[in-house]
Amino acid sequence: MSQEELDEFKSEALELLDAAEKNLLALDSGEDFKIAFDTIFRSFHNLKGASGMMDLTDLQSHTHELESILMEFKSSTSIPRDHINLFLRGIDGARSILDGQKITFDFTIGKVAEVSTAPVTTPPIVIVETKAIEIDPAMAEFLAESEEMVDRISDALQRVEQKTSSQETIEALYRDIHSLKGAAFLFSFNAIGEIAHAMESSMDGVRSGTQQATPELINTLFKCVKALEQDIQSIKSGGQCEEIRKCLPEITNALSQQASGSQPKVEIPMDPVEIPVVAEKVVQAPVAEKDGEGNSSIRVPVSLLDNLMTLMGEMVLVRNQVLQFSNKTEDLEFLNLSKRLNVVTSEIQGEMMKTRMQPIGNVLSKFQRVVRDLSQELKKEITLNLQGADTELDKSLLEAIKDPLTHIVRNSCDHGIETPEVRVKSGKAKGGNIQIRSFHEGGQVIIEITDDGKGLHKEVLLKKAIEKGIIQKSQASTMTEKEIYNLIFAPGFSTAAAITNVSGRGVGMDVVRTNVEKIGGSVELHSEAGKGTTTRLKIPLTLAIIPALVVRCAGGTFAIPQVKLEELVRVDQSSSDNKIEYLHGAPIFRLRGNILPLVSLDKILGLPSTGTSSNSIHNIAVLNADQCSFGLIIDEIQDTADIVVKPINRLLKSLQVYSGATILGDGDIALILDVIGIAKVAQIENSKAKLEENSKKTSSEQLRSEKQDFLIVRLNSPTKHAIVLNYVHRLEEFERKNIEYSGQQAVIRYGKSILPLLSLNEQLHYTAVEEKNTLDAFPVVVIEKAGVLFGLVVNEILDTLSTDCEVDCSLVKQSGFFGNLNTAEELIVVLDPFTLINSAFPEHVEAAPIATVAPVFATRSSYQKTSLKILLAEDTIFFRKAVAAVLTKEGHEVTIAVDGKEALDVLNNSGINFDLLISDIEMPRMNGFELAKAVRSHKVYANMRMLALSSRADKRYIEMGKQAGFDCYLEKLKPTLLVDTIAALTAERKAS
Amino acid sequence: MSQTNLELFTTFFVGEDLFGIEVMKVQEVTNTPTIIPVPLAPNFVRGLINLRGQIATAFGLKELFCLEQKKAQEQMSVVCRMDGNLVSLMIDSVGDVVEVDSNSGEPPPNTIPASVRQFVKNVYKMNGTLLSILDLDQLAKELSPNTEDKETTSH
Repeated sequence: MSQEELDEFKSEALELLDAAEKNLLALDSGEDFKIAFDTIFRSFHNLKGASGMMDLTDLQSHTHELESILMEFKSSTSIPRDHINLFLRGIDGARSILDGQKITFDFTIGKVAEVSTAPVTTPPIVIVETKAIEIDPAMAEFLAESEEMVDRISDALQRVEQKTSSQETIEALYRDIHSLKGAAFLFSFNAIGEIAHAMESSMDGVRSGTQQATPELINTLFKCVKALEQDIQSIKSGGQCEEIRKCLPEITNALSQQASGSQPKVEIPMDPVEIPVVAEKVVQAPVAEKDGEGNSSIRVPVSLLDNLMTLMGEMVLVRNQVLQFSNKTEDLEFLNLSKRLNVVTSEIQGEMMKTRMQPIGNVLSKFQRVVRDLSQELKKEITLNLQGADTELDKSLLEAIKDPLTHIVRNSCDHGIETPEVRVKSGKAKGGNIQIRSFHEGGQVIIEITDDGKGLHKEVLLKKAIEKGIIQKSQASTMTEKEIYNLIFAPGFSTAAAITNVSGRGVGMDVVRTNVEKIGGSVELHSEAGKGTTTRLKIPLTLAIIPALVVRCAGGTFAIPQVKLEELVRVDQSSSDNKIEYLHGAPIFRLRGNILPLVSLDKILGLPSTGTSSNSIHNIAVLNADQCSFGLIIDEIQDTADIVVKPINRLLKSLQVYSGATILGDGDIALILDVIGIAKVAQIENSKAKLEENSKKTSSEQLRSEKQDFLIVRLNSPTKHAIVLNYVHRLEEFERKNIEYSGQQAVIRYGKSILPLLSLNEQLHYTAVEEKNTLDAFPVVVIEKAGVLFGLVVNEILDTLSTDCEVDCSLVKQSGFFGNLNTAEELIVVLDPFTLINSAFPEHVEAAPIATVAPVFATRSSYQKTSLKILLAEDTIFFRKAVAAVLTKEGHEVTIAVDGKEALDVLNNSGINFDLLISDIEMPRMNGFELAKAVRSHKVYANMRMLALSSRADKRYIEMGKQAGFDCYLEKLKPTLLVDTIAALTAERKAS
Repeated sequence: MSQTNLELFTTFFVGEDLFGIEVMKVQEVTNTPTIIPVPLAPNFVRGLINLRGQIATAFGLKELFCLEQKKAQEQMSVVCRMDGNLVSLMIDSVGDVVEVDSNSGEPPPNTIPASVRQFVKNVYKMNGTLLSILDLDQLAKELSPNTEDKETTSH
């Protein structure tokens, strides 16, 4: 059959159906039965015949069914209304079959169900399977409408349950259920229709006031609503009403029971759980009833609105150009016109924006149900309080925040609010309260979810985060409260089951953040242990227009989304105070004590630098990319503007650094920078991860690692000074007024002892320009030497430095210096605090190394340079390196062991015949004394001399050393003395 | 088949060569407005242009075809819509709209450089010259890749 024939048949069939419909309606309004009936019958019959001829078996059997039902009334004088409805639906069904054919020949009716003639139950004619996935407009309308109705029903039920409902609400509820029923039957969704019918009948009593809405009834009704929601969704995606069909019998039974239910049961006072809820509800202002809304609205496809928005954007641009032009002209009339154009355009823009806006209440009201269901499930009493439900938000955003919000609310119910018993015990009201507040602030919509539950414990969060390796222990102490709470959003944090047990919430809060950030929003969390938690979402008003910072760099114009912008910093490179520094060649900036990695936009984009580097002013935009901040160096900051985001070619998007483009007011194009992409390209995240990895390594392999820690201090010298951190006992800050004098010596009472103070500036003969004289407090580095504490007064304690740089001891001219630390950035002088203390307090110098060795001291010139095999056991890298350097310089062969145990192993296994063992005392695993004893217990090593080298050189230790078997006991860091003693020792050995 | 199937092509010159695109696929031919360069983009991306409020990506056909030619005037651009994106192809000069019999087209000979051949669907013999018809689908594939593998090589 040709298309032509088919079309012809179709138009004829439609005419027949129209005629049948018209007459059915006529019958309904009491027209003459006979004529109308004949027409209808003829129509069906003809259609049946024609469709059979056209080989359209589906339509044929469909009309055949209709015809045979109609036949039953051939001899009667009227058709019951239910049957008229049935026929009308049948006609619609036939039309949709015809439509289906138009779209696809695949369209089939699976089965025309048996028709029951019982007048009460509605005979189902179900189009069970529609293979065409495309939903025709009428159907889409129906689905959208039913969704709204179900929403309203759910809402109303909520109010009925909370006793905030008026008779009007119940009427509206009844009406909605009724229209849903009608609509569902019209579209042959019988399951939906039947359940609605059951709901309707069950509500009869409540409506007429003869009955109370029992919790059981409402629960069942809620169950219906849930099933309805699910099925409408599944119909949308081409499925069927399976959910309802599954639970239909059960629900209808329950409903009919409850509706006709025994009076006593109904009269039983409310379930005890409900009472407090009711009591609290009274305080709340009743939610404004918004019935009848939407009567004067029309449905418009979203795509049309989108188009209008785009055109609107263009119009704004033209307006801007006109305005710019009008500034140049003197024509008054034109000026006036352009001003009016300006005003009108702005107004249209404002109104246009509103078209896509929907009150947030549309989403929030759903949570009434969520909270209600959850509180029953969890056996908690939770009320949900909504504020600012009429705050408007772009529809697409509204959809996007639904899931994150649900998550947060569920979390609050599940982990936030305690059980009634716990609440009462901790002195709170029995019922918990969750409040959702939404309002506009600074061009954004803020949504705050507050619960009065148990809140989060900072300590527990920190502990967990350290355990999970999300943060380092050292970071923990410096974290602000906000940072701590935001740990909960870190990926991998929340999956821990333990956190739920211990303190807080947390399934997938990182998902919440990702979803919110995807739409350009942000999320924050604040909590007070025991009092509750507040989660704050910041959502942009719309996706299409975002506030952005317009910047210029290397001749191009770029836009940075404001959400990603933390702050702007202007750095004057010529001022000495705070400037861009270079760490291993990479620019960094110290922002309030934190190191901020810098990225040059022109470098990232591979653009030639425009020579602004000669200019000493730099603009840095501090940006936030996932967890880490970085600074973007840009040439010029132009303005902030609301920009319309336009998509760019995928090829360009795949460059990672752009998220879109926009047209600025002057018609210029600006590329919108993708902050996270830039961070990726600049490998900021990577480097950060690597850093963390490194620091982990050092902690685990500290023994082996080559890094030495120094304390960096500032003295009256342009060069920084360093003290080996192992020497440092404590860092203190004393007040100037506490200084006392013991003779000439400045001292401070320090605990039970007296701390002599030593000004490093004086000791090193730096001109004593005490710049910070005015300050009351001064920093002191407390050093322990041979059991006595000394305070070294410095100008400022700057930092600690962990470095693997060699200490160069070759250029030491002044006593008190150990050597120079040659870092990549600068030269740092390493101090020898012991020498300084010795020279300042000669009385503290230990009574020379060891008396027995002293006489044999050879003058350096007299001793022959013999190469010795030396084993050096020392756990501190710094000393290991320093001592080894001294010894190697003297021509000795040095083998290194990191502790006593290793030294013993080397002795036993290496097969080297060592001449001398130099050992530290304080070492892990096996200390110097133990080592010496072990060595001395073997006769093999009788010939080997042993030398102890320690910073703990008081008499008691020297004595112990001797007993352990050391030939000599020396204080650390005295290279000359060490060399001389070695010479003496070996000479002694040779002599013996 | 005696039936002739006439097709209309918009023709233009890139360097010495004459190219054509189906008339219905061309949105417009314009003088080239200001091009905003896109840093980091491959060399055949000239930049973005503002086409009455729509942003179009401008591609240099010379770079795309790897033609070793001096940057001539390139005064014009052919704007097409590919994959929902506006694309502006930079050309030297625009030719006539020609009508050819689609049956007389021949596949591009194998000897022309592969960089050009992959984008040429058909070749038609015109009076004294040859007309190469651009394969817009192939171009679209190249210019807006679905996968992100392009970018790794581009920077």
